[in-house]
Amino acid sequence: MARLLEVKDLKVQFKTREGPVHAVDGVTFHLDAGETLGIVGESGSGKSVTSLSILRLLPMPPAQLVNGTIIYQDKDLADLPESEMRAVRGREIAMIFQDPMTSLNPVLNIESQLIEPLQLHLNMSKNEARQRAIELLEAVGIPDAPRRLRAYPHQFSGGMRQRVMIAIAIAANPKLLIADEPTTALDVTVQAQILELIARLRRDLGTAVILITHDLGVVAGVTDRIIVMYAGKIAEEASTDELFANPRHPYTLGLLASIPHLDEAVTEDLQTIPGSPPDQLHPIAGCPFQPRCPFVLEKCKTYPPYMAVGPNHRAACWVDVTDPAEQERASKRGFIPFRQIRHGFAGESSPAGMSNA
Amino acid sequence: MATVQSDQLLTQFQPNEITPELARKRRSQFRIIFDRFTRNKVAVAGFVVLAVLLVAAVFAPIITGQTSTYDPPNDPNLSIALSGPIPGHPLGTDDLGRDELARMLFGGRVSLAVGILTALLTILIAVTVGSLAGYYGGWVDMVMMRVTDAFLSVPLLVVLFVLARTFSDGSVPSIVILIAAFEWPSVARVVRGEFLGLKEREFLLAARTLGANDLRLMVRHILPNAAGPIIVAATLVVGDAIITESVLSFFSFGVRPPTSSWGSMLNNSRDFISSDPLLLYLPGIAILITVLCFNLMGDGLRDALDPYMTER
Amino acid sequence: MTLPAATTARASATGAHLSIEDLVMHFPITQGIFIQRQIGAVRAVDGVSLSVKHGETLGLVGESGSGKSTIGRCLVRLYKPTSGHMYFGDQDLAEAEGQQLRMVRRRIQMVFQDPYASLNPRFTVGSLISEPMAIQRTASRAEIHTKTEELLERVGLNRRFIDRYPHEFSGGQRQRIAIARAISIEPEFIVADEPVSALDVSIRAQIINLMQRLQEQMGLTYLFISHDLSVVRHVAPRVAVMYLGKIMEIADRGDIYNEPLHPYTAALLSAVPVPNPRVEKQRKRIILKGDLPSPINIPSGCRFHTRCPLAQEICRQVEPPLEDKTGRSHFAACHFSDQVGPLTRTGSVQGLGTI
Repeated sequence: MARLLEVKDLKVQFKTREGPVHAVDGVTFHLDAGETLGIVGESGSGKSVTSLSILRLLPMPPAQLVNGTIIYQDKDLADLPESEMRAVRGREIAMIFQDPMTSLNPVLNIESQLIEPLQLHLNMSKNEARQRAIELLEAVGIPDAPRRLRAYPHQFSGGMRQRVMIAIAIAANPKLLIADEPTTALDVTVQAQILELIARLRRDLGTAVILITHDLGVVAGVTDRIIVMYAGKIAEEASTDELFANPRHPYTLGLLASIPHLDEAVTEDLQTIPGSPPDQLHPIAGCPFQPRCPFVLEKCKTYPPYMAVGPNHRAACWVDVTDPAEQERASKRGFIPFRQIRHGFAGESSPAGMSNA
Repeated sequence: MATVQSDQLLTQFQPNEITPELARKRRSQFRIIFDRFTRNKVAVAGFVVLAVLLVAAVFAPIITGQTSTYDPPNDPNLSIALSGPIPGHPLGTDDLGRDELARMLFGGRVSLAVGILTALLTILIAVTVGSLAGYYGGWVDMVMMRVTDAFLSVPLLVVLFVLARTFSDGSVPSIVILIAAFEWPSVARVVRGEFLGLKEREFLLAARTLGANDLRLMVRHILPNAAGPIIVAATLVVGDAIITESVLSFFSFGVRPPTSSWGSMLNNSRDFISSDPLLLYLPGIAILITVLCFNLMGDGLRDALDPYMTER
Repeated sequence: MTLPAATTARASATGAHLSIEDLVMHFPITQGIFIQRQIGAVRAVDGVSLSVKHGETLGLVGESGSGKSTIGRCLVRLYKPTSGHMYFGDQDLAEAEGQQLRMVRRRIQMVFQDPYASLNPRFTVGSLISEPMAIQRTASRAEIHTKTEELLERVGLNRRFIDRYPHEFSGGQRQRIAIARAISIEPEFIVADEPVSALDVSIRAQIINLMQRLQEQMGLTYLFISHDLSVVRHVAPRVAVMYLGKIMEIADRGDIYNEPLHPYTAALLSAVPVPNPRVEKQRKRIILKGDLPSPINIPSGCRFHTRCPLAQEICRQVEPPLEDKTGRSHFAACHFSDQVGPLTRTGSVQGLGTI
């Protein structure tokens, strides 16, 4: 598949009174046409800043692109003139956010907001654009589209607003859709609808998608590949199947073990990741996960290189977490080996419709 | 040793981790507010200017060697009337030959007293009314807000002029009561809004589930969180009151001679606008600077007192 | 703090610690400036009955607008219910007033969702944790200080931070402070309203474990309100599912998750994303159509019929009772609960237009 996007050594800082906040600290990844990439991380991991820098939507200052290139097709978005950047936004790369209410204009009806990108990017006539707008609303599952076109954002429910946002985002047929926590504000049944819709975009239109979320469950179903971010850095990157079957970074292991899984037996205690997410204003030397890591070694004070640990699988960790000796060492610090968590407790079987065979 | 520390960190229930804020020395609430305030240089400058003005006004008798504006050295001395700056009278003299510096200091005393006392009285009334209206809502709120509406919809100056003639005897307390009577409704609305917003906050709900009574909720929980906007409103009232008093005095409805304020000095100097413009500029500039400084300081206090400003 | 032996004894005698009967909470909608007329009501809780056993956790699950938080707030009497009863021991919480209400508040406490919002920013941690003891006068001034220090350590915080302010702590630490505050007067019952939803993923397990440990140590009873079905399954042996102000299904954990007997429960379960791509790929989702109806205008008959894949004519007319379907205390309010099993296996995806 053709390479669509290539981000190299991206560094973004925020200037504050007390010094720079290292929001994104040397991030390198790529995306092929039609591929769905998940970026997973907690608040402050840099996942949103990364995606906002791709479209250069960060307020500068206080944000500052310190280093890195963002090659989209043949252009480096990092130093494209603003006028050319505007042609990329919406036309080539579109973005949807967690709260659709903040990105929809409350005083304009859906029609004008939906028609604008069509006229602007695709040079459609007003009538063509309206026709297309109705098709788009129907495509994203909004019933009674011709009438709803005249409605204002506040007349829609949260889930419907997110559908409208997606309709606007895909209006100009972009090659890449960036979805930043698109379902976090939504109820779980609505989340399922939106995820289904995003998966369909890829199937029917071949749109590449970057899905940013804190929820490992959300990315498991819809992505091809996943990047796990921690403290502005990529901790681990692998194909989706590989990441869940064979996680290699202690942070990924911890994340997977510390959330209850609906498809597995109920356990007594949850394994915890001790401590709190790091403070990017005062980064520590070496691996940022070391204060919370059960596998920590003296050499973690130097940041580990990205090591290829399998096909299409890299992780930034000095330790081979699959090594039984290392697991033995870590278990003294509260680590429960991964496999043991999954199958070690006698409990109830898997919920309906989730055989883990 | 790094590993030993890590071991200590990693016991099962070990969240004794230190956030960057906890790693710092403990500061009291006052200290936090003070530190935040002093970062706003403009607000600090306003505060310093006001402090100088206040000290000068308070110690006016010592500075000028007089006990009030009409003591012997200030008696009319027409031989040096409207002299402009001369030795012994750095700011010159007025139409009766009285020292202008002494008049400015004593006038400032009256103007600042009117401003500050009005603000205090206004806050007292506004917090009482606004907190009851905001906290209890319902008919209490209805009645109080309609009363403030009525106050806000009268032509302030006209009514003030009429009342000043009929009600006020030209003394400072009577002027203070008069102005406060018209200032409190707008501040009461601010207080009411704060109480209305804060009473639905989760920490208020949490305190209610503990069995805290209304008085405790209002005084211990809501008021400290509403202090910022209230204090800011108070600083604005000071400026407002000084200006209102000046306007009253300018039209001879304010303090009566022999007491003088910056406003009444403006009134007196009207006739000398061409012969001795300094007499007009001095009280005018004093009013301008004082009001501006109060507003600047209020701005700084607003940020410093915001309980949710997490920036240190 | 030790578990009072008497409490356990009474609980084993009565079984249920808390029993809610036909609870209704309607918020009136009024119109008019001077004369307020009621023109309708938000029927947030619309006739709910449930009970919680002593020392147990009942999970209360539902989406936003289901009324689950309103039940919690009725229990701690932030709201006075429109009608119905909430028996706590031999006392009806719905009726308690004045001194009685104050006494009850000592026995039933609440932990809120957002520890950034539920802690007064003007209070030090010490005064936050000791406030309940001061209000309820459960300890003398001298005792309060040492007790506060003990409580800090009990929830895993360092006692030397007793005079710091909430904003200096991380989110997880703040929720620990909120928990210390809730347990400071040794309540028997805690209403936990989404206690981990506002926290970072890597922090949630710490708080869940802490709550479970305190439950064991103090014999606490929890009503655990959450929208997260995975978390509820982990903490609660018995689970109730709410939709639009009513309980749709209530059963033991194993029954409700493995064999849901209400199509709404089945749809919720099928919608929860699972962090396992192999499972995700072969899962059959039940995608619900449409949006949640307004709680002002609740559909006739079964309130779920507008979105239900199994709905028939009878569902529009007759409201199904919440009844035990299996003889194992597995209650469900559905006319066609026998068809939920097949639905779960096949899934149902509503048709969408073409792009």
